[in-house]
Amino acid sequence: MNQHNLQIEAQFRPEVLERVLRMTRHRGFRVDDMEMSTAADCQSLSIRVTVSSERPIQLLSRQLEKLMNVTRVETHLMEQPLKQSA
Amino acid sequence: MNGAQYIVQTLKQQGVTQIFGYPGGAIMPLYDALYDGGVEHLLCRHEQAAALGAVGYARASGQVGVCMATSGPGATNLITGLADAMLDSIPVVAITGQVPMAAIGTDAFQEVDVLGMSLSCTKHSYLVENVENLGDIIAEAFEVARSGRPGPVLIDVPKNVQVALVEPRATVPCTTAPNALDEAALAKARAMLAEARQPILYVGGGVGMANAEAELRAFAERSGIPAVTTLKGIGTLNPDHELFLGMLGMHGTKAANLAVQQSDLLMVVGARFDDRVTGKLDAFAVNAKVIHLDKDAAEFGKVRQAHVGIDAELQQVLPRLTGEHLAIDAWRDQCKALKAEHQWRYDHPGEAIYAPLMLKQLSEALDDTAMISCDVGQHQMWVAQHMRFTSPRNHLSSAGLGTMGFGLPAAIGAKLARPEHESVLVSGDGSFMMNVQELGTLKRAQLPVKMVLLDNQRLGMVRQWQELFFDGRFSETILTDNPDFVAMAAAFGIPGETITRKEQVQPAIARMLQADTAYLLHVRISEEENVWPLVPPGVANDQMMESKA
Ligand SMILES: Cc1ncc(C[n+]2csc(CCOP(=O)(O)OP(=O)(O)O)c2C)c(N)n1
Repeated sequence: MNQHNLQIEAQFRPEVLERVLRMTRHRGFRVDDMEMSTAADCQSLSIRVTVSSERPIQLLSRQLEKLMNVTRVETHLMEQPLKQSA
Repeated sequence: MNGAQYIVQTLKQQGVTQIFGYPGGAIMPLYDALYDGGVEHLLCRHEQAAALGAVGYARASGQVGVCMATSGPGATNLITGLADAMLDSIPVVAITGQVPMAAIGTDAFQEVDVLGMSLSCTKHSYLVENVENLGDIIAEAFEVARSGRPGPVLIDVPKNVQVALVEPRATVPCTTAPNALDEAALAKARAMLAEARQPILYVGGGVGMANAEAELRAFAERSGIPAVTTLKGIGTLNPDHELFLGMLGMHGTKAANLAVQQSDLLMVVGARFDDRVTGKLDAFAVNAKVIHLDKDAAEFGKVRQAHVGIDAELQQVLPRLTGEHLAIDAWRDQCKALKAEHQWRYDHPGEAIYAPLMLKQLSEALDDTAMISCDVGQHQMWVAQHMRFTSPRNHLSSAGLGTMGFGLPAAIGAKLARPEHESVLVSGDGSFMMNVQELGTLKRAQLPVKMVLLDNQRLGMVRQWQELFFDGRFSETILTDNPDFVAMAAAFGIPGETITRKEQVQPAIARMLQADTAYLLHVRISEEENVWPLVPPGVANDQMMESKA
């Protein structure tokens, strides 16, 4: 099980967080940790999620990149994984 | 003008001439605007059929299909059609009425969270909060639906937005710029092609969606690579070409599956290694390297690792690959021999109608422009195997979702898209009943859609699996209590007849095609016929079953 950090930039839409989380679950990734913040002008937001899965992270990042309101996705392998719940 | 009128105006600007839909409370302002709005609307008898009608229209025409429904149950009924469009990458725009903004989230009458429901079965979706944004959202929705890998888009419009006044303005034109070709990947692909000894061209539905049939056929001709297609790729390649081996996968031809299993290079174009294609994945074409061309980069490595993946418009990339005829004569001969050895056989004993032969005869009675829609099951596979298609626009089959009930609405949508061409439905007695209410739509629109109902009094495909893999325990698949289908069609003013014997087939097909109205040809076939060959679950594609062992 690999753990990755995803940094996601998106245009602000009320449903963007839902889209990202739905995609993450459906493509087989578990959310271990996450935070979200909205830019001062309320036009954009950024989401940081830590996910774990047996599947290669590109399977998720490429799908996330296709979401209309998502503008950028970066992935980082977690060298020291967060403590995972069982 | 109000928001509803603005919607109609913007749809017209998008070139929309035909809408499929069903009215209700939360979309009444839009139906009022349609009353004299100058766009044709077909009243379907179920919102699922409106969505599938739009899918059929889009598939037959290559244009975006448009459907609409009211909030709540209207919108939930659209969902199956949108999921169908999603899995087959069909450009559809759906417009749903919604309760007024102020009522959203109060559990108002006919309120469901349509945006939430749409997240998993559309490419994108919108809730329009402000009438000012309506025009731009619709223009963007059409661009999203048809660009890149096409797909369905939903626009949920609250009633207060439909009635709000607005000063219409020109919508911002919306186009997506193509990305630059990856030259290094292209060079690598060319080198792999030059080195390959046993290459196979594996063609999916993406080629037709990208209007790249001509470029693909030119590439196939130039390189001389033997080719196979998926269910959705049928019609893309010249069906009469000596190097075309047919459909691969679960019910593919033996020649196609054997050749793919032996190949050392798969050149995959607009296809996605669907599980019905690969069979047991880790036994699929194990010696083959993979070149994968697709407009959707998320397909590279999703199921099977590609040695080279090229994300590009297929029209642009195909002419850039391989100028020369590959030196693979021995392989070509091997593939031709496979094809010759595994021809279909139609010498079926007895008086009863043999569905594969009947479909071959039907195909021969039609010209190359005819559009065949089918439902899901054995008859769908027989259509794919035994009818001849020269364009993917003529083969309307629910491939990805496998939606029973797809056929009749799709055939209606196809007929409206191309009224000058014959639209023929091939259905099964199970599937036909899933959208049978659309006989009412045929009656209303007086559309001469020809319906061939292959009646085995069974949910045939499920019965086949029960016979082969569940010890013949025929749980809930026996339909001996079917209605009198010809009488049912007659109730909608549609003529028809029943046939039961081989020698009746050709005259009955002729009568059906001569009719200038809709027509139901009800064909009684054996309840025991199976679809062969078949790759059973969990084995490699070269282990095809050919009849009950
Ligand atoms: C909406 C829906 N429900 C269930 C199925 C599962 N299913 C696949 S084929 C089939 C039987 C189809 O029977 P029929 O339409 O009579 O066609 P036949 O196989 O007999 O040619 C069923 C139930 C499906 N594909 N779609």
